[in-house]
Amino acid sequence: MNIALIGNPNAGKTTLYNQLTGANQTVGNWPGVTVEKKIGKLKSKEIQADIVDLPGIYSLSTISLEEEIASNYIMDREMDLIINIVDASSLERNLFLTYQLLDSNIPIIIALNGMDIIDKNKEIIDHEALSKELGVPVVPISASKKIGIEKLIHEVETFNIHQTRSSVQYNDAIEKVIEDFNHYINDRFLSIRFFEDGLDTLVHTDVDEKDQPKLIKLYHDAKNDFELDIDMVLPDARYNKIIKLISNTYERNDLIKETTTDKIDKILTHKYFGLPIFAMIMFSVFFLAFGPLGTYITDQFVWLIDQFFIFIINGIDSLGMSPYISSLITKGVFGGLAAVVGFLPQLMILFLAMAVLEDSGYMSRAAFIMDRALRRFGLSGKSFIPMLIGFGCSVPAITATRTLDKDEDRKITSMIIPFVSCGAKAPIYGVFAGALFMNGSYIVVFSMYLIGLLVAILSAILFKKTIFKSASANYIMELPQYRKPTVKNTWLHTWERSKDFLMKAGTILLASFIIIWFLSYFGIVDGQFKLLTDDQISQSFLGHIGRAILPVFKPIGFNDWRSTVAILSGFVAKESVVGTLGILYGVTGDVVENGSALYPAIRAAFTPIQAYAFMVFALLAIPCIAAVSALKRELNSTKWFVFTLVYEMVVAYLLAMAIYQIGSRDLGTVLSIIFTVLVIIFVIFMIRKWIKQKGSACATCDGCTPNSGCSLPMYEEYKEQIEKENKDHEN
Amino acid sequence: MTLQDIKPGEFCVIKNIKSNNLRKRIIDMGLIIGTKVYLKKTAPLGDPVEIIVRGYSLTLRKAEARTIHVERVDK
Repeated sequence: MNIALIGNPNAGKTTLYNQLTGANQTVGNWPGVTVEKKIGKLKSKEIQADIVDLPGIYSLSTISLEEEIASNYIMDREMDLIINIVDASSLERNLFLTYQLLDSNIPIIIALNGMDIIDKNKEIIDHEALSKELGVPVVPISASKKIGIEKLIHEVETFNIHQTRSSVQYNDAIEKVIEDFNHYINDRFLSIRFFEDGLDTLVHTDVDEKDQPKLIKLYHDAKNDFELDIDMVLPDARYNKIIKLISNTYERNDLIKETTTDKIDKILTHKYFGLPIFAMIMFSVFFLAFGPLGTYITDQFVWLIDQFFIFIINGIDSLGMSPYISSLITKGVFGGLAAVVGFLPQLMILFLAMAVLEDSGYMSRAAFIMDRALRRFGLSGKSFIPMLIGFGCSVPAITATRTLDKDEDRKITSMIIPFVSCGAKAPIYGVFAGALFMNGSYIVVFSMYLIGLLVAILSAILFKKTIFKSASANYIMELPQYRKPTVKNTWLHTWERSKDFLMKAGTILLASFIIIWFLSYFGIVDGQFKLLTDDQISQSFLGHIGRAILPVFKPIGFNDWRSTVAILSGFVAKESVVGTLGILYGVTGDVVENGSALYPAIRAAFTPIQAYAFMVFALLAIPCIAAVSALKRELNSTKWFVFTLVYEMVVAYLLAMAIYQIGSRDLGTVLSIIFTVLVIIFVIFMIRKWIKQKGSACATCDGCTPNSGCSLPMYEEYKEQIEKENKDHEN
Repeated sequence: MTLQDIKPGEFCVIKNIKSNNLRKRIIDMGLIIGTKVYLKKTAPLGDPVEIIVRGYSLTLRKAEARTIHVERVDK
């Protein structure tokens, strides 16, 4: 049996899902999108059943990709039974979806969640009366307190999915319209969906194409039958039913004037304190992961892993294997494995913090507070956290985008995170700025962070204005009641997401490490193919590739193959750029720890402007393999993945070239270039303004989308066709 | 008068909803002609606004609030 868990966002769906399935879960993605698909086995000894956790929805009429997945799943009736979780604390709105579901003939069991809070507030919901009125079983539960779960499972086990229930009846005028539609659609549920969503519904039906104009004519005729706007008719009818139902079954406690949520929100979304508190919470999350605690845990963890590897390596050595195999295992495989698991502690700390913020309800407040500031960049309030994490490390940051609400947000945010200057890029700035910019070195380093952030923000705006045009405008969000996060839920959230990273990103990472290992430890020396030692990197294939592609880098100021090899080695990890430079310039000692050893070599090889272009390129170009594999994993689409890599490469190249080319001219040329660019920008700006003024009819309307009232079936387009058909008919 | 003109702490009743991107969603969330709405607060940066409707708390941007025509009422 296939069971779908459906309910409003914040109704406690995930908590209930975890209670119903335990640890038997598989997490994947819905095809082609970055939306998590979770399937688990029902904890039952009686029956075999899979539970699908669908994205939370408020209504079957959708405004985002996530919602569309859930809604399509229902309209195509891909389940045998629906468990509809209803949040008792906002019964009125939750029952709206329930009534939409009741229009179908799919078997439904209602799980009335949050009953412990209803009891605590000394309120009463008569669930038996509710069940009688709705015609489906209603099981009172508390998902977070584990109350009523067994009863719900028992209800599922004993439920007869073949029994039919009478459909929800509306008033005569509405029933007449539904019947008219049904004449062509032959399905009451989908006829009602057509009433609400118009043409979008028809893909779920087998209506003949030549009948479509007739349906559209019926729809437009129906408009005149109602006093209300046609898209309000059914919602109004439902809400009237709900109000009547609630007044018969729900005994409210009128003594409660201010809920706990109200009290907390008085501070957390306060006019003046709201923003500083938000900043403080964000800082603590960052501090937790990358501050002393996070670093300490990571160091200990990495040390432990190293010990383990050393133990195995010693074992391998004593076996007397060929140097090829032992190098493959110690440098290729273990290097890759260490890089993968090395991310785990920080990743888990971050996911833990985010799970707590999310489950408590604060994340919605963060979005509410930051919406105005971030909407220009096409980002939502929630994107703020992954961006911030990006200053520490791109890998957990990209993985963290999964907690964002919308597919477009997730894509845009993961695409721009690699531009944000991560911690591993800092040593590069340290060495170059220290060697060449003397007293101005701090400003140079700071400018790198600024350039990274600026390019990220500008890219977000660009993506929003071009590729993700439709996604930007939507903001309508519930502020849920604050909840105490449960240990089990928080842990499951954290573990699932971390495990997923290890499995999926880990495999790509490992494979890439082995390839890079081969390229940097093998080479042809004196006409002989052989394994190289650490300091022979210039003889390796990587070294040869570095020399071969040097001409491509000439325009951005590279005139030494060592720079290209260093940049290439940055693909393994940005930390190795400085280390590789050390090896190539023959500087002994730990150059990563003590950059000044490299100063003379760099002063001899780079002019300040070359160094600056080098730093900008290292900052913006394709990130390290770990980040690339995280990107591949999160974008979940080869097209977007390749686009991102190419885009990043091109941006890095163009910017570094502009800096080098302009920077190496004399002052007069520079000024005239700046002047020309400004003039071009001004002209483009004026043309855009002119087009905008001509194009828009009014200031407040953003035009039509498939979900707005004005784009429901376009009668005009079909008018001629219908008239022609009528004429044919008469003849 | 639109929802944008209502000040925090005031009540109003919906008269009409003009066409916008989110019209259908706004209706499904329970804002229908005749529905009573309480404006709770505006966000620290002045936008979005938080309203209480049908016993829960909903936030929307002023761009959408402008398209919801209302009449002020006393409680």
